[in-house]
Amino acid sequence: MSTITVLGLLLLLLMILVGGKAGAQAFFALILNFGLLFLAIVLVAFHFSPLIVTLVVGVLVLALTIFMSSGDDLSSTVAFLASVGVLVVLVLLIVPVEHWALVQGFGPEDSEDLEGLSVLVGISFVQVTMATAILSTLGAIAEAAMAISAGLSEILEQHPQVTMKALFGDGITVGKQIIGTTFNTLFFGFFGGFLALFIWFTGVNYSFGEILNDKIFVAEVLMVLFAMFSVLLTVPITTWVMTRAIALRRKRPQDSTES
Amino acid sequence: MQGFNKKHRVTWWAWLLVLFIGGLLVWGTAHDARLYQDPILQVTAVQKQQTTKETDDFQNVDHQTKQKLTGHLLNTKRRGQRVTLTNTYSTSGAMDQRYHVGSQLFVVVHRSGQQLHAMVKDKKRDTPLVFMLWLVVGLLLLMMQTSGLMAFLSVAANGVLFFLAILLNGSTQGAQVLWIFGSLAVAFAAVTLWLVLGWTRQMVITLMTTLGGTLCSILVALVVFHLTHEKGMYYESMQYVTQLPRPLFIAETLLGSLGAVMDESTDIISSLYALKRERPQLTPRQIFLSGRQIGSTIMGPLINVLFFIFVADTFPMALLYLKNGNSWGYTFSMNMSMGVVQSLISGIGIVLAVPLASYLASRWLPQEEVHA
Repeated sequence: MSTITVLGLLLLLLMILVGGKAGAQAFFALILNFGLLFLAIVLVAFHFSPLIVTLVVGVLVLALTIFMSSGDDLSSTVAFLASVGVLVVLVLLIVPVEHWALVQGFGPEDSEDLEGLSVLVGISFVQVTMATAILSTLGAIAEAAMAISAGLSEILEQHPQVTMKALFGDGITVGKQIIGTTFNTLFFGFFGGFLALFIWFTGVNYSFGEILNDKIFVAEVLMVLFAMFSVLLTVPITTWVMTRAIALRRKRPQDSTES
Repeated sequence: MQGFNKKHRVTWWAWLLVLFIGGLLVWGTAHDARLYQDPILQVTAVQKQQTTKETDDFQNVDHQTKQKLTGHLLNTKRRGQRVTLTNTYSTSGAMDQRYHVGSQLFVVVHRSGQQLHAMVKDKKRDTPLVFMLWLVVGLLLLMMQTSGLMAFLSVAANGVLFFLAILLNGSTQGAQVLWIFGSLAVAFAAVTLWLVLGWTRQMVITLMTTLGGTLCSILVALVVFHLTHEKGMYYESMQYVTQLPRPLFIAETLLGSLGAVMDESTDIISSLYALKRERPQLTPRQIFLSGRQIGSTIMGPLINVLFFIFVADTFPMALLYLKNGNSWGYTFSMNMSMGVVQSLISGIGIVLAVPLASYLASRWLPQEEVHA
């Protein structure tokens, strides 16, 4: 058996042991997410627009991740709507910044890996780079949105009559609790992967100025910053969606007496 | 009400101050050419020239366009002089860039006769970088104030540690990569948790969970590597490798999963602390079960976070492989397999941290600190 199969089975086993049915479900969601990611690459290879493919796949990934984790209906729906909102704002930011920074495709550091490959493939790599940045952030957006909406729904359970203004403040408080650790998850997640690149920079004696303008370096750091930006944005957007959802529910006559 | 208004005004001033300082920095990087040794050219006119159609061996069609750029030098002793140069860009733009009026470029200048000629080396990219940094830090501080500052400080402190470790690794030619980044992981976790939680018993429990979970996942991975003879792992597909790939891969995985495991342990243990404070009569077994319950809801999304970080990065290269007539299987093996292995190992660490955190918390939650 290959290493991936054994590690995968081991992970599945552990997730079932620890999480039971929810664990198995989360593992299944992971597999589906991989399928979606691979599908996105294949679709772009068939000349579908990278940005549109990413948006569609992105919404599917968010839905899958959020609705397949355990959580009550209200908090899942709020988390999903909020994360889609964050995705849209993120796209609006990424498009101009990527056009400005021109960090698409490959840099001189990649030339060894590119040997024997034709790079003139007729697909806009500016858009591919945007797609990469957006996709790499999806997991973080979903996680943050779920954490905040779950925190808020817990507060609502304990204080059902909380005012909208207080609820908004609570959202920011919940955000404050998660932001430190989430930033570290992103920092380590990304920088762990860039370790080889950074070792390369010091080994080949790049100057500070060269690193600061290097295509690959800037591309990678921008990805981290986009991810941090979207997690930050998740806090007010999720809180706002939650207040709207609650306001809507309260306005409605008492037809839903449960919850 | 007075207090609220005053607080409101202070926040408003903070907004303006952060906006202003950031704007100044962004403006500064757009005018910092004189800090660089290499000549920098500002493009003032662009003239589009002929476009040629290119078809490669795999029937990929692309268009290459030549553009004539005119501009003046912003630094060195030739500052202010006019230079013309040509640049070729393609529709795909994987290895080239299309430049516009206003672009600042690093160039190599040489003189032939009376005329100055130049070649583009690369684009100047520090301005967008600093702009994004400003946006994130500004948003962080304005939205989260003190907590934001602490989050920023812990990331900055980790960045400095990371940089020092890389220098140390360079000075030992990469022979000690696992030891260096292993100790670094301990330092990272200790500094971060100390900044977030202070020097408390909660911090010690969280630290032990983080290190224990990460260490277990690496050990499990090594055992599996040994038993499966690393079948289906292609170290040669790792990018930018300048030293022995196997220890480097393990170091990457170790660091990559550390943050997520720390995130999860912090969540579980602080929730259990809150729970114990509310209901002091809980038995260790009940605490263990609650910890497992909390952990099993957050582990899935966290594994997902790392999965997308590790695997989405391979998009451009995988795409290029597909467009160069490679099969799906080969494209996966050569681009995504290592990222998937990394995600799986991190996933195992994240899952293992759940019972570990619950167990440690159930044993060591203080009884005396509780005043119900």
